[in-house]
Amino acid sequence: MLRIFIGRKEDEYYGPSYFKFNYDLEWLEDDLVRKMIKDVDKSEYVGGELVHSDILGPISPRELSGGVQTLICIYKNPDKVFDATSCGPNCAQWLLEIGKRKDVTVALEYFLPFDGYDPIDVYIENTDKKYSNADEYAIAALDLLQEVD
Amino acid sequence: MKGRHHIVLETKHLKYEFDICRNITVINGDSATGKTTLVSLLQEYGLRQDSSGIRLQSDVPCVVFSGSSDNWKYMLDGYKGSIVFFDEGYDFVFSKEFSEAISHTDNYYVIIARKPLKNLPYSTKEIYGIRTSGKYHFPEQVYHEFYPMIEGSVFDGGVEADREYILLVEDEKSGYQFFSSVTDICEGVGGNAKFYNVIQKTGREKNICIIADGAAFGAYISDNLELRKRGYGLSVYLPESFEWLILKSGVVVGDDIQSVLAHPEMFIDSEDYFTWERFFTDYLKKVTEDDTVKKYSKSRLAEYYKTRQVSDKVVSILPNELKKWL
Repeated sequence: MLRIFIGRKEDEYYGPSYFKFNYDLEWLEDDLVRKMIKDVDKSEYVGGELVHSDILGPISPRELSGGVQTLICIYKNPDKVFDATSCGPNCAQWLLEIGKRKDVTVALEYFLPFDGYDPIDVYIENTDKKYSNADEYAIAALDLLQEVD
Repeated sequence: MKGRHHIVLETKHLKYEFDICRNITVINGDSATGKTTLVSLLQEYGLRQDSSGIRLQSDVPCVVFSGSSDNWKYMLDGYKGSIVFFDEGYDFVFSKEFSEAISHTDNYYVIIARKPLKNLPYSTKEIYGIRTSGKYHFPEQVYHEFYPMIEGSVFDGGVEADREYILLVEDEKSGYQFFSSVTDICEGVGGNAKFYNVIQKTGREKNICIIADGAAFGAYISDNLELRKRGYGLSVYLPESFEWLILKSGVVVGDDIQSVLAHPEMFIDSEDYFTWERFFTDYLKKVTEDDTVKKYSKSRLAEYYKTRQVSDKVVSILPNELKKWL
């Protein structure tokens, strides 16, 4: 399940930094990771240290977007909490997909909509409540975000 | 710094082209649109200039903040007459201290951040996403441009005839005093940050309209517009400020009002004004200071502006969608 904490967690990690200095090439071989890279970054993992980007040409995994790097970190390190604020709205479906496969917890400091993906399976730690409807999730998250400095 | 600065940043494979015209610009939106690449190119250019193979066209220096989170104040002191870019990931940009440090400085600041910057008074018009245009792929040059995340200043939520109407404004100062003179359904919410909670408490069963100063509502606009998508009968109007409305309506005269309204960026120096809203307040005060009838005060609106003839003129320039509340 995808567990979300609205706000900042003391022990959270910043995905793009964590990825750059801790990624494992095995992570990139994973089917779901390949799909996320393809969908969000319009890039394809070729093998070794090589990714082919439609825009940038040949790049290293370190040059993947901060959003995809964070998604991969969340998926491959379910014991850690990452700040999903690095994930743009185009990462929403992949956060939900990761949550279907693993129990993960992320922190979030902006409103990331899940519209169009009902029924969703999201738990907000602050409200101690599960949400299956994107609209109900939205109102709960937005209310909580008003209190985030 | 003042004015509009046209930036072109180009390599063999990438091109970015955009204008920066206010002291604070925010970039956010989807992942993988080229935000960090933009900053990386500017950083590389900063290190090696033209020998980097990157071409930068700009009438002012474009620099990337590259200090650590511990010494940011010291680093900021070194920037003068520049456009300073901040990549995502610096927590200090959300702090009051940062807001104080960049106010009244001779720089413009471009900040990449999805989290709203609640301590910074930025405009709803200066929040951008980046998109690529054309059908080119590597190795052809891919063109990147900025596009506004909040398009326009009027958002019509529609109305239901049998529902009560309510008009919300920021506070109980001049704007509230004006709108209260033309309608008895106006309420001040007590600050930009409070619109959301007041709308929530008002509920989905009323036709709500909010009028907020677009020049300083950047941190709050997205969450309020989300409510509009979710069943709240909410319309939104974002003039630069109430003073801008008065100036635009023609109820006061001044030699250069039309030029100021057409190109505020040419008149507003970031060293003098942190937001355009404050400039328009001072400007309106200045053009009315010698007129005992029209003399403008933000705390107590002169009776002149509430007279039928004058208020009709101001109301006449409001968007038609809003007139249902007046």
